[in-house]
Amino acid sequence: MNLLINRDMDDLERAILISFDESGTIDSVLKSQAIEYCQQIKETPTICSICVERLFTSKLVQVQFWCLQCLHDAVRVRYSSSMGIEEKEFIRKSVFAMACYEGVDDSNNAVVRVLDSPAFIKNKLAQVLVTLIYFEYPSIWSSVFVDFLPHLNRGAVVIDMFCRLLIALDDELISLDYPRNADDVAVAGRVKDAMRQQCVPQIVRLWYDIVTAYKNSDSEICASVLDSMRRYISWIDISLIANDVFIPLLFELLLVEGLPEQLRSASAGCVLAVVMKRMDSQVKLTLLKSLQINRVFGLISDETDTELVSSIASLLTGYATEILECAKRLSSEEGKRVSSELLEEVLPSVFYVMQSCEVDATFSTVQFLSSYVATMKNLSPLTEKQLVHVRQILEVIRAQICYDPIYRDHLDVLDKIGIEEEDRMLEYRKDFLVLLRSVGRVAPDLTQLFIQNSLGSAVASSSERNVEEVEAALSLLYALGESLSDEAMRTGSRLLGELVTMLLSTRFPCHSNRLVALTYLETITRYMKYVQENAQCIPMALAAFLDERGIHHPNINVSRRASYLFMRLVKLLRSKLVPYIETILQSLQDVVARFTSMDFAAKQMIGAEDGSHIFEAIGILIGMESVPLEKQTDYLSSLLTPLCQQVEALLRSGKIQNPEGSPATVLIIQQIIMAINALSKGFNEHLVTASRPAIGLMFKQTLDVLLQILVVYPKVESLRSKVTSFVHRMVETLGVSVFPYLPKAVEQLLADIEPKELVGVLVLLNQLICKFSTSVHDIVDEVFPAIASRVFSVLPQDAIPCGPGGITEEIRELQELQRTFFIFLNAIATHDLSSVFISPKCRAYLDRIMQLLLYSCCNHKDITVRKVCVQIFIRLIKDWCTGQYGEEKVPGFQSFILETFAANCCLYSVLDKSFEFRDANSHALFGEIMTAQKVMYEKFGENFLANFVSKGFLAANCSQNLAEQYRQKLQSNDTKALKSFYQSLVENLRQQQNGSLVFR
Amino acid sequence: MALPNQQTVDYPSFKLVLVGDGGTGKTTFVKRHLSGEFEKKYEPTIGVEVHPLDFHTNCGQIRFYCWDTAGQEKFGGLRDGYYIHGQCAIIMFDVTARLTYKNVPTWHRDLCRVCENIPIVLCGNKVDVKNRQVKAKQVTFHRKKNLQYYEISAKSNYNFEKPFLYLARKLAGDQNLHFVESPALAPPEVQIDLAEQQRHEQELAVAAAQPLPDDDDDAFE
Repeated sequence: MNLLINRDMDDLERAILISFDESGTIDSVLKSQAIEYCQQIKETPTICSICVERLFTSKLVQVQFWCLQCLHDAVRVRYSSSMGIEEKEFIRKSVFAMACYEGVDDSNNAVVRVLDSPAFIKNKLAQVLVTLIYFEYPSIWSSVFVDFLPHLNRGAVVIDMFCRLLIALDDELISLDYPRNADDVAVAGRVKDAMRQQCVPQIVRLWYDIVTAYKNSDSEICASVLDSMRRYISWIDISLIANDVFIPLLFELLLVEGLPEQLRSASAGCVLAVVMKRMDSQVKLTLLKSLQINRVFGLISDETDTELVSSIASLLTGYATEILECAKRLSSEEGKRVSSELLEEVLPSVFYVMQSCEVDATFSTVQFLSSYVATMKNLSPLTEKQLVHVRQILEVIRAQICYDPIYRDHLDVLDKIGIEEEDRMLEYRKDFLVLLRSVGRVAPDLTQLFIQNSLGSAVASSSERNVEEVEAALSLLYALGESLSDEAMRTGSRLLGELVTMLLSTRFPCHSNRLVALTYLETITRYMKYVQENAQCIPMALAAFLDERGIHHPNINVSRRASYLFMRLVKLLRSKLVPYIETILQSLQDVVARFTSMDFAAKQMIGAEDGSHIFEAIGILIGMESVPLEKQTDYLSSLLTPLCQQVEALLRSGKIQNPEGSPATVLIIQQIIMAINALSKGFNEHLVTASRPAIGLMFKQTLDVLLQILVVYPKVESLRSKVTSFVHRMVETLGVSVFPYLPKAVEQLLADIEPKELVGVLVLLNQLICKFSTSVHDIVDEVFPAIASRVFSVLPQDAIPCGPGGITEEIRELQELQRTFFIFLNAIATHDLSSVFISPKCRAYLDRIMQLLLYSCCNHKDITVRKVCVQIFIRLIKDWCTGQYGEEKVPGFQSFILETFAANCCLYSVLDKSFEFRDANSHALFGEIMTAQKVMYEKFGENFLANFVSKGFLAANCSQNLAEQYRQKLQSNDTKALKSFYQSLVENLRQQQNGSLVFR
Repeated sequence: MALPNQQTVDYPSFKLVLVGDGGTGKTTFVKRHLSGEFEKKYEPTIGVEVHPLDFHTNCGQIRFYCWDTAGQEKFGGLRDGYYIHGQCAIIMFDVTARLTYKNVPTWHRDLCRVCENIPIVLCGNKVDVKNRQVKAKQVTFHRKKNLQYYEISAKSNYNFEKPFLYLARKLAGDQNLHFVESPALAPPEVQIDLAEQQRHEQELAVAAAQPLPDDDDDAFE
């Protein structure tokens, strides 16, 4: 750090340099001293003059930057509070002098000029200046712009600074691209109004003069001027730019070859801003016509990928978009004619840009084409010209979504480059396929014919691009399918029928290619509704999935996906497949054998979830009632028996081994549970319990075996969650006959559980409660204490703390547990199980639960959680406060409700300004809160009113009159009227509170 | 005067500025690269922390000096002062917190004020979380400003390398540049004792012979 021993530097400069230094070579003590020293200086009252002085003397950019930052902070933070008039005057003069390239007035010889520094220093200076303008223009410092303009004579340095000032003004204050509060928007309006009145014409004049003077000598400065000008066109008088003087200049810059590209692009940007200016459509059309945009068409003919072509492309797209807008808005014949002429004129160039130039404007061009196609929605039939355009659009789409053959191998093996290209293409295709779907809607026949031809020629072609062309044509067909209604798909036009038959019967020479195979299967699935209606197609569709085009494809990714899609096919066609069950099972024998055989080594090659789709499909097929019992039993036992035997074998050997289980064992057991799980989905409760109990028995035996997993491997989380989901399934499939298994299962699941893993068990219990309500009383009563104690060991009594900068993973886990716990409590309360809360086993937790519910129903950030909590209270009041004045079921509960819950939740929490009546969730919560009041009144009568109205309302300064009205509305049966009255009462009270709630 | 005067290396190095609202996961993202660990806790960054991140490309090794800046103004230190001489940047937001996306334009403006014309990547982090608030199609800012956008998840490593690869390609001016090794871990900060090194390598060889631990397949369940 030789800089540090430079003798010319003083302490402040040294300290600044050290605090900027992040090389890791600075002693940490020295560094914190330096930072502290800078901070001290920053807090001295004379900081502004210290900074200004440095800015005229120091050449070190860090020092300059630090000083400008201090000035900026000082103005920003202190301007309206502690800054004196003299200090303001001083800052204003100094900063302005710097911006105009002046030195200090007195005899200072070695003046440093900020404008000689790098761009970022000048930008920082502009930011300080803009902050002053924010506070002072036009009321205090009305001459800032007018005073600046004469200095532009000094040449490019000052002009450049002026451009930076204008750009900073736009970025920091005017532009609508940034989030701004109402105050800032008002200031921006004030500044714009003042500038329009005072200096905009002068500034425009100077822009013109500068560009004219410098266009051949200093293109950079001209480009800066045009870039800043572009930002102002949207809000200044358009006639200052759109006139016989400025427009010719802009086109001259644009068209003259030899001028630097940057300048020509900047000029194109200005023309685009003129084109996009918001104005009356008739005036706009005249303006657009006068531009003679065809002058720039020639600029895109040379297909180079340059900045200029890119800006011209944006210009043409913007122009076309605006013309289209005019055409939509204008109703006069003349307006329609002119706009359609202009559109005709520009469209070929737009298509050309799309097809031959690689430009960034693709997105806006696609958007334009989409809105162009949208205009055809209500026109039928389309004109010849429109059909030509539609065809061109289809060509553009097909060309754009085609992969490049150089990626063929990468995509096939899906290596790093292949993955990247596939991701890119997926993203890139999105907009084009949306466009295709809208084209398909306005011109269905043309689109279908186009796709048919594409597919036909792709199959026939032997060109280098064959694979890619097939894939693209299939993708088009897929996308078209997405836009067809169910109705259109089922009935299918003649053309569509041909297309689907062609699809199902074709074997592409390139079917071994991963992408082709996948797209093919996805496309068939997309048209499955047609197959469903046309049963003659079913054998063809099945073949496509079962042979080497699908599940038996050599590529594992294809066969995996095929399994999933096959399952969906089976789900949809179901009963239509009964005649084919035998054939299907035959074809899948080898796949199933991989799971049922005892060859463990082979199994490690399959992923944990690989089997589930195949097994689900088989389950649906063999689980149908129309399969004879005997067959069904055979099928099912041929699958369940070997799978269960394997689990038993693994568990036997696992008992001797470690309790964590070897990774291989865990993986295989997972596979098996998931396979059985998937299989069972095809068997419904009626079949299993009522009509064919023998089948139910087989599943019960399976459950017995799988529950053993929890005994042998109690701590393996992945197995625990898989078994849990199997229990979920069995609850659905076996119904009440699952009961005998539940106590043991839940006990096993709860043993040694980590609190955060509780969510899974709670969800299971919620399912049980919702399905069986009071019948599961004993189970819930049994497990409740264990759950409550674990939950309270991690959940805070009030709000979950939230870090200063967002939500961490830990907090997210806690939130999820909390939410599930509330739903659990809600399920208990609303399914006639509230007696659990006060049973001898669980009573110890009652108080904590009440406190948590009370806090959450008033304060929880998530409004839906609040609602859940209020619902619990409503139910408990109904259940526990039965006798009018008799003995209490739960001592203390009534007074808790009357004295605490009523006022806190039903009054104070809604009085809080954060309670937003217009929010839909809050509205629903408010409804529950009204119900709570109704219920309390029903149960406690005058006792409730005495507490709620006399005490609660009084504390909130409610008038006697309003309180009386409330009493009346509550007594009437009109819930709606009560609700709206209470809302107005709350709003009324809020005003009286004037925002300060003394009682909270 | 070279500002990122970190210990110099004999291969190309670039100053990368990482900005975005507090809590969007900037530090976690960088640390993921350094240690491969996922940081669950939130500790706000004070001022800035500079991490050298090395990547191996087909054109040789490169280093990003990643300036992980404080997202919260009160811990800002020199704030935009840290951007000086930045050569590329990542703007991060949290797809589960709408406000952090709303503030992206402001971060972009502040960045461009100090670093004109540098390649910038916009990253939407935490895409692994179930209830995201900013949907992919709502993210349009990058289109206006010609930035590259990636959805990432520091937790699951999703798209972790993408931002770096994009920036490396832009800086090298070579669209076909790619990373040849992954992950690139932090280079050693201290001189290594040779004997110690040999012992380490031996341990590594033993470790490499062990079967791989079961990967956490359930991250996206």
